[in-house]
Amino acid sequence: MRVSLHWLKEYVDFTLSAEDLAECLTMVGLEVESIEYQGKKYEKFVVGEVLEIAKHPNADRLSVCKVNTGKEAHQVVCGAPNVAEGQKVAVGLVGAVVPHNQHDPDGKPFALSHVKVRNVDSYGMICSAYELDLGDDRNGIIVLDSNAKPGIPLARYLGREDTVIEVGITPNRPDAMSHIGIAREVAALLGKRIRLPKVKVKKGSVPIKKVLTVVVEDTQRCPRYTARVIRNLQVVPSPGWLQNRLNSIGIRPVNNIVDITNYVLMEIGHPLHAFDYDKVAGQKIVVRLAQQDELFVTLDHKQRSLRSDTLLICDAERPIAVAGVMGGENSEISSSTTAIVIESAYFIPQCIRSSSKAFSLSTDASQRFERGADPNITLWAVDRAASLIQSIAGGEVLKGVIDVYPKKIQPKRITLRPTRVNEVLGTTLNHKEVSALLQKLNIRVAGKARKKVVSSTSYVVPTYRPDITEEIDLVEEVARVYGYNNIDTKTESLIKFYSYAPEWEFADELRNCLIGGGYSEVIVNSMQEKSQARLASDKVVEIANPISKDMGALRTSLIPSMLGVIRHNIFHGVKDLRLFEIGKAYFHDPSIADGTSLQGFVEKERLLLALTGIVEPVSWGRKPRSVDIFDAKGELQVLFNKISLDKIKFIPYSTTDALIDTGLHVEINGQHVGMVGSIRKGLLSMFEIEQDVYIGELTLDPLKMNRLRARTYQLLPKFPPVVRDVAFIVDGAISSEVLESAIRNAGKPLLTSIKLFDIYTGEQIENGKKSCAFSLQFLSETRTLTQEEVDRTMQHVIVQISSTFGATLRQ
Amino acid sequence: MIDQIEQIRRAAATEIEAASDLQALDITRVKYLARKGAIANLFDNLKTISATDRPAMGKALNELRQSVQSLFDQKKASLDLAAMPQQTSYDLTLPGRMRWIGSKHPITQTIDEIKRIFIGMGFQVATGPEIEDDYHNFEALNFPPDHPARDMQDTFFITDKILLRTHTSPVQIRVMENQKPPVRVIIPGRVYRNEAISARSYCLFHQVEGLYVDKGVTFSELKGTLLTFARQFYGSSIKYRFRPSFFPFTEPSAEMDITCYLCSGKGCRVCKQTGWLEILGCGMVHPNVFKNVNYDPEEVTGYAFGMGIERITMLRYGVDDIRTLFENDTRFLKQFR
Repeated sequence: MRVSLHWLKEYVDFTLSAEDLAECLTMVGLEVESIEYQGKKYEKFVVGEVLEIAKHPNADRLSVCKVNTGKEAHQVVCGAPNVAEGQKVAVGLVGAVVPHNQHDPDGKPFALSHVKVRNVDSYGMICSAYELDLGDDRNGIIVLDSNAKPGIPLARYLGREDTVIEVGITPNRPDAMSHIGIAREVAALLGKRIRLPKVKVKKGSVPIKKVLTVVVEDTQRCPRYTARVIRNLQVVPSPGWLQNRLNSIGIRPVNNIVDITNYVLMEIGHPLHAFDYDKVAGQKIVVRLAQQDELFVTLDHKQRSLRSDTLLICDAERPIAVAGVMGGENSEISSSTTAIVIESAYFIPQCIRSSSKAFSLSTDASQRFERGADPNITLWAVDRAASLIQSIAGGEVLKGVIDVYPKKIQPKRITLRPTRVNEVLGTTLNHKEVSALLQKLNIRVAGKARKKVVSSTSYVVPTYRPDITEEIDLVEEVARVYGYNNIDTKTESLIKFYSYAPEWEFADELRNCLIGGGYSEVIVNSMQEKSQARLASDKVVEIANPISKDMGALRTSLIPSMLGVIRHNIFHGVKDLRLFEIGKAYFHDPSIADGTSLQGFVEKERLLLALTGIVEPVSWGRKPRSVDIFDAKGELQVLFNKISLDKIKFIPYSTTDALIDTGLHVEINGQHVGMVGSIRKGLLSMFEIEQDVYIGELTLDPLKMNRLRARTYQLLPKFPPVVRDVAFIVDGAISSEVLESAIRNAGKPLLTSIKLFDIYTGEQIENGKKSCAFSLQFLSETRTLTQEEVDRTMQHVIVQISSTFGATLRQ
Repeated sequence: MIDQIEQIRRAAATEIEAASDLQALDITRVKYLARKGAIANLFDNLKTISATDRPAMGKALNELRQSVQSLFDQKKASLDLAAMPQQTSYDLTLPGRMRWIGSKHPITQTIDEIKRIFIGMGFQVATGPEIEDDYHNFEALNFPPDHPARDMQDTFFITDKILLRTHTSPVQIRVMENQKPPVRVIIPGRVYRNEAISARSYCLFHQVEGLYVDKGVTFSELKGTLLTFARQFYGSSIKYRFRPSFFPFTEPSAEMDITCYLCSGKGCRVCKQTGWLEILGCGMVHPNVFKNVNYDPEEVTGYAFGMGIERITMLRYGVDDIRTLFENDTRFLKQFR
């Protein structure tokens, strides 16, 4: 909310600077977001009087003016056709910054300096409305009132010397959404009292009841309806002071009647609405609920389809306003209006909020009603408006007031224990101190304080504070007035218990391992287009109100978003990538309740790593090789090793998976935990990626569960190993895994380790066959092996493999 | 004899130093250190010395032998090195062969550091689902249905009652539903807001939430804990302030500001000329929240706090567009090794 300091000073005296005031308000919870010195814009602009005009010696269209700027006269060259002797004009002096440059296509500001215009000195500029940001007129200079005093600052002449602060109001503080509301806080802070303006209404002779009846059908939603009628008034533009006030806080003046209702709104915070009395059919106002789908055109010229829970203000025939939100076009104040009804009602917050939400219409009025207005200020507000109207627009205020208020809303009484204050805040305040603090906020002890020692006290809370409903709310008020920064800062009860669980850092362990392996971590949006989410699963979680279609669902795989990252990087010239993400995939499956997610939903934390481009950074003496699936598989193997997982199985599969082309399932103890593979070409082209991408995706929970906790030390062998290499030529279809396990079996018990170190096809190898070269290590725990022993085992291995697979030895 | 010792010491030192190659050095060895050398000769002469002087002389001779031997060894080592063949076939200025260098995302780095500090203060770590129900995200946290406070957090809905959590606070409720006090946890996680994407706001971000409930927890202690955190995270010299604010689930509620570390509180673009940076929201757990999890608000009190990780990260590294954090340009990521 914008608060004018000039305006604020009408209700409370203070000498604080704007900065100090901002600091104070911020420290009681009314955060001042900005301070605007409105006069600053017109610094070095003054009112001038054109004393003499001479033709410019070197230019037909220019004139050389002598301008009185108070203490002295300046020579100013002017090009405007309408400049004339005796005029009062707006003059920018040397150093002034003209808000708009008329000759610049964007109208950028520029600073004035002493210049020579075609050889004639000019010490300033006579400005147009456009140049001063006061309007669109750029055809001539702006001519001021003839009685304006030369030399006074232009800002003063324009009524723009004010300082305006922008206060961020939290939703619990409707009471602070007005100048008087802010004044109350300032008064509490400074220990002063506020001044309310005197309200005097000269009543006419005709009683209001003769010309208007009000029927409130729904007193639950509208507990109070107050109205006055004013006749024989004139709707004209507001006087300057009123326009300036509204302008200063960013409200566009309309006409005197609308302006006054806005003024009172911004003064006391209570929304008013003025109807054109002659357009209120049947001299009657009815407050009722709408019928479902009833149509109504609001002041903003939009036709709205009403709902059965929309509260309406109607006349005898039709709706004339959506209660608490916006008036209707049909009863709008116009220049021909001569009589009005001013409504000052109290609607309950829930009702106004649902109307405002239903029509996506948030107005100054609805914002206040839905946060909670003061039911007991309606009469003051309507009278305040009536008295202003009387003094500005003339007119006759009819005798009496209509005030439908069947059940008066009383101020709340709330009990507070001083001990509670101290328990929550860590203070040592006594009952008297607590009461004194609350008193500053007009929260007073109910009845008379009798006893000296009081364990609990009942306080009366003004009805403009609907946020205060229970004891803890009073504790907060005490803290606020006492000052958060005056509460001690203690840490003694810290470090009472300490515990640590390694699973908090499981993901960190994986992260560190991958970062050490040269991977960069990415964090991406988990929302994506529905069609993308469908690629991996049809159990897609859809968002009912997405920002846009391309974020209509939660992802079911980390792959598509990773491809987006890869595309971005390739487009920016980085083609060799090793990336990983640890994040969630989301599924909607009504049959599932996994205990950690909401019933029917599954959130799975996953690790995705992706490789593309070359295996190692380009370097001299190194042959670049593109990554393949075995690099991805190897990365997972390293990871499993690092986190002590065994019983891992990689199972090749051919698939119709929309994401993966050739791949391997990863299983731990027979449980599927992820996959390794290459991304399908079709999917790559969707992302405009023209190079192969390999990925490994793992679900974290089963990894966490299956990791080996306890490690025991294994005795190191005492005797030296013997290593032998052997190459078998076998049928190309035989998998290396099968071959390896057959060798392992045949080599028992001396064979302790096998490494496949080469695969070869081509020259010297028969078509359809391949050569697999292994390095075998033999070891005994009880003795140093002899060459003969190893030869015997080797021979056995060779015979076994040859007979089982029809293998031959490669020499 | 003393004179002889000194003479040999000086002569040996000069000759060893002067030896220009291994051959010349070997001559000095033969002359002084060999079995028939000058020092051995002196040892032979010991017999002629009186028994009272003999131990002292013996000692002096031993020292002589050691010092000459050590001079000889040093010289030999340096001549050996010089005699080694030069490896001139390599250009040692060639760049080394590097591996890829990985990097941790700056958001993760910030979360890690916050976690480390609070774990050190005795906090446990808890997590919870991102797909939440209205009850845990709002109602149990004392947001009444149809309350304007809900507008503070624009929400993505899955269904009427199921949504993407707008803050990590629902995990507070889940922790308290499952555990009796005392409770002391931090809750890192991803949250969502249905806001237009711009340089300043993204549709999702990360928070770290904290909760401490026990007998006798006060606002004083909340301030103490957060100050301890802020001093560790932002530096021990920061100034701070707490100012009133509003969150439905805490009362009193506060926001914590620290002096802007970019301008040391003088006012700059980042702190919007105020000299202060807002770093977190906090407050005392509202009694209604305790009631909703069957804790007795007369028995226990507690505090809660929460901070936005992206904001902190952006301030720390001077990142001025939040979208940069989610773009994952490796040229950006690699700056956070």
